[in-house]
Amino acid sequence: MSIKRSLATTTISGFALSAAFVLTLLNLLLQNLPAHMHRAGDELLKLNADEGIANAVTTVVVYFRGFDTLGEIAVLFIASLGIGLMLGENERCEIKAESNFMLQTASRLLFPIITLYGIYVMVYGHLSPGGGFQGGVIIASGVLLLLISHKEYEVPHSLVVWLETFAGVAYVLIGLIGLLTLDVFLSNFLPHDIAQMGLLISGGIIPIIYILVGIKVGSEMSMIVQNLIKRQSNV
Amino acid sequence: MMGFIILATFIGMLIIAFSAIIQKSLADSIILFMGVGLGSVVLFFVFNAPDVALTEAVIGAGISSLIFLMALKHLKAES
Repeated sequence: MSIKRSLATTTISGFALSAAFVLTLLNLLLQNLPAHMHRAGDELLKLNADEGIANAVTTVVVYFRGFDTLGEIAVLFIASLGIGLMLGENERCEIKAESNFMLQTASRLLFPIITLYGIYVMVYGHLSPGGGFQGGVIIASGVLLLLISHKEYEVPHSLVVWLETFAGVAYVLIGLIGLLTLDVFLSNFLPHDIAQMGLLISGGIIPIIYILVGIKVGSEMSMIVQNLIKRQSNV
Repeated sequence: MMGFIILATFIGMLIIAFSAIIQKSLADSIILFMGVGLGSVVLFFVFNAPDVALTEAVIGAGISSLIFLMALKHLKAES
């Protein structure tokens, strides 16, 4: 069975694509709508200052919608589990092309920088654009660079298991402590003074939760990448 | 000036997307699909959504095209 596309597929996808682009462009051009139509979250965003977080998006993702973030992490875990179940048991597939000297040297040079940038994006998620999801995936892309340049490299499995378990359990435990102290799941029980806004240690539990999210996403994405690259499908 | 940048990015994305559709080889299509993702990164950034732009740059242009390429490799190994 060869992979080919018929003319109909090309035409239909071409029409669908151009329709989507034209609709988006129209949507952008029709920006002078009534004012109340693009202000759905303003009442919510006014509460943002109470938490002492400089980045309002982080407050929405981790605090106002913290339970949704827990669900998203669970979804990512299930995806990682499925890929591991489908591909993890099979034998190692050898990467045929030998990586050359330049790729190996450059990956040794770049991997610490990529990891450092990922940790920066993760830790500064409550101050600047970014956060746990992005930082975790940046670290996973550094692992991808190591995987394609060094044939014998493997992600340390026991370390990844412990990190992932720790991050997931700690997220739920922080939520439960909030439930016990302030009667709301994932409530901000640590001090979050508005005078501290913009400092690295500010905002109570929100940066802690985003770092935990980053650890969990990074380990899960690293395992997904390793399973996809190193294992042979036998379906 | 900003509107010109936005329109130019849109037209560039359209051209890249059409050429991704009409490519013969699927690997070339995936690489061009990454190009569409990069164009949308610029648009997100212009429209004051740097968080979404970072996510799109990392996930849309990076990891998802890796997953597409690996799926393509597995499909070729089957056929």
